[in-house]
Amino acid sequence: MTAVAVLVGLAAFGLFTGVAAGLLGVGGGILMVPFLTLAVGLSQHAAQATSLVVVLPTAIVASLELRRRGVGDLGVSLRFGVVGATGAAAGALLALALPGSTLRVVFAVFLGLVGLRLVRDGVRA
Amino acid sequence: MAERVATTGSAPARRTFLAPQLVAIGVAGGLLSGLLGVGGGVIMVPLLVFWAGYRQRDAHAASLGAIIPISVAGILTYGVAGRVHWLDAAALAVGAVAGARFGAGLLARIDERALKIVFGCFLVAVAVTMGARA
Repeated sequence: MTAVAVLVGLAAFGLFTGVAAGLLGVGGGILMVPFLTLAVGLSQHAAQATSLVVVLPTAIVASLELRRRGVGDLGVSLRFGVVGATGAAAGALLALALPGSTLRVVFAVFLGLVGLRLVRDGVRA
Repeated sequence: MAERVATTGSAPARRTFLAPQLVAIGVAGGLLSGLLGVGGGVIMVPLLVFWAGYRQRDAHAASLGAIIPISVAGILTYGVAGRVHWLDAAALAVGAVAGARFGAGLLARIDERALKIVFGCFLVAVAVTMGARA
């Protein structure tokens, strides 16, 4: 693939992750990180860093749209996020100290646990 | 039990800077975000619903707002380490910003139960994919 084709592909994939992010209330990194490592060939660390840069404008645009439509309370959410930001800095520093393969396993285990919890609750409900 | 710290503002949630549960969820989301390079929404949304008693739609909206400062912290940490591929990020962002507006519009209108099912399926699908690869 040429560089231009890669960029067009990235923009198209970005459109997809943006819709998912806005609807599902996530940043989209969970979709972008595997894509950037598997399809684009970035290292795990580079993929995670690059993903975060995309997550920011995605979350801003989605939050402004929700505020315009009167969903949620952006003030509370931002305060909530500022607290979370301290955790994020600690997590990012920890991630840089760990090898990429360890991160991948941590990522998979984490997703599996959340998924199982949801399935369990869905079955109970 | 459900709407304890719901966004529309019960008195205890308003009095303090932030309900203790939200502080804990914010730190958990942030830690995972920085560690895994994601927004943290996949963990914050379930915790907001199951633990903080948020309605599904409000949890998604809160998660998106929280992701803003959380991702700034992550970017600063990674940015200093020089890991960001800026051209790739710009291309992705062009699409993602357009999509996010549309997706958030859907979130504002979608039925609560449909949202739960869609989100649950999304998480299970991602978990299975990641599990198969790891």
